[in-house]
Amino acid sequence: MKKVVTGVVGNDIHVVANRLIDISLQARGFEVFNLGVNTSLEEFIDAVVETDADILLISSLNGEAEGWCRDLQFLRSEYDLKDVVFVIGGNLAVGEAKESDIIPKYKSYGFDLVFHQVDLNTGLDVLEKYMSELK
Amino acid sequence: MSKLLIDVGSTYFKVCEETNITQHFRDFKKDIYEDLLHKCGDVFSRYKKEDVFICSSANGGLSTLIIGLTNSFSLKFAKNIAFNSGINIIDTILYSKIEESKVPLELIDVVIVVGGIDGISGVFDEKLLTYLQKVQYSNIVYVGTVQDANYLSSHIKSLKVLGNIITGKLHVNELELKEYLTNLYQADIVGKEDIKHLYEFTSNQIYSTPYIVNRSLPLIDANFEVVNPFIVVDIGGATTDIHYSRDLVRDNILSDSEYDRLVFKKLGVYKSKETLVFAAKNNEFVYELLAYLNVTENILEEESEKALRVLMQLSIFLVLYKVSRLNPLYVTLHLELLKSIVLTGGITKVLSYAEVEAIITFFYKKVMNLHSLPTIVLDYDYAIWTLGMKNNEHKEPKCL
Repeated sequence: MKKVVTGVVGNDIHVVANRLIDISLQARGFEVFNLGVNTSLEEFIDAVVETDADILLISSLNGEAEGWCRDLQFLRSEYDLKDVVFVIGGNLAVGEAKESDIIPKYKSYGFDLVFHQVDLNTGLDVLEKYMSELK
Repeated sequence: MSKLLIDVGSTYFKVCEETNITQHFRDFKKDIYEDLLHKCGDVFSRYKKEDVFICSSANGGLSTLIIGLTNSFSLKFAKNIAFNSGINIIDTILYSKIEESKVPLELIDVVIVVGGIDGISGVFDEKLLTYLQKVQYSNIVYVGTVQDANYLSSHIKSLKVLGNIITGKLHVNELELKEYLTNLYQADIVGKEDIKHLYEFTSNQIYSTPYIVNRSLPLIDANFEVVNPFIVVDIGGATTDIHYSRDLVRDNILSDSEYDRLVFKKLGVYKSKETLVFAAKNNEFVYELLAYLNVTENILEEESEKALRVLMQLSIFLVLYKVSRLNPLYVTLHLELLKSIVLTGGITKVLSYAEVEAIITFFYKKVMNLHSLPTIVLDYDYAIWTLGMKNNEHKEPKCL
């Protein structure tokens, strides 16, 4: 069973979305470690280390993730996390923003998969496909 | 027959009978037993040994080194449990940086190794063993993933293995480690030659004072004019303890305990006076504070009653400063949410309410930029300690 650490990053309290992600992941057979809302990037990385998780799935709905996730590469380098898949999804920008701008930006931060304003199930389908191709 | 309650502090003895509480300044030329016998011998003669209850914080304190996998879980959980068990001196090492970490020169009372939820393995390896070979320690306890317990037990002599403090949901499981550390703390206090003699006065177990105060916390708002969330500041001769409601911290630790404790080993007004003065002189607000109190910095070098009062006011200020958001090195309490500050310990016998209020007003205006103060309660007659002792009388000792 693949292990996923998930939660909402930064000063974001969209708890319903967080709960839906948790339920959907469990329904798809993942073991979920849900850190809930208002979670810092360091806590996410630390939870991945403590649980030896396969996937870190960060969600953000208030658009502030950009400011909170810039240190991902740095924090990743603190531990040996090369086999972990880093995913972010939700509403990833404040105001109007093009997907073609957002996705490369988050990928440059160190995310493997980026979902901006993508339906949850569609995003999780892509994640599952990505994981199966990694095998 | 009524009970006799005694608290042996580093500076004072407090003696509580049915109707009154007295305190006696310690004579440091005598050992505790002789001094207590000299000052309270006639009181003891009126009580049977089973009616005498003693707690002590004199010379207490264990040094701890925590080696953990991450800051947010292993180290945070273990540090929190250690503080709540009465441990004073805590050093931490992040496991990923263990190879470049300094080895403590002094003897460590207890090393705590923690990391990983149950189910994962291979968290700890040779690096830990190599490091531990260089450390001098008396006890070592492992509270990480159960899968690594056998490997570590086979390589580390006298390793104590307890249940993982990190649950499968990344919550804290504090019971086993807390009990183990509390027992060590108790054994440390009771094992001291000075304290051993005190069993000639009592047939009951001698407890550590912070444990007794901690027991009284859930009862405080029912017994005093105190509203939750509150803090209890116990400024003593050698250390300053702060007990606080967990509502004041936002650290994502889910714990059964509603109250936590933090110890400032070097913020006492008598034995640790020098370090208190040093901390004061290095504080950015201190000169403004001294001007506010109408004194100059020379007062810190004086030996007078006025100097003692200023020192006590400074210690209140420093302890609040150290837990405020201006000092992120310690636990940060959301002092803007605080409803009540309770002061206990020897300080309440020296400072007046107005003096305490003056310093807390200064702190809230200058540091917090707030004009409304929490309610200030002075525990003049050690009622919190008495409450904890009485609440403890009928409990079977868990320790030793």
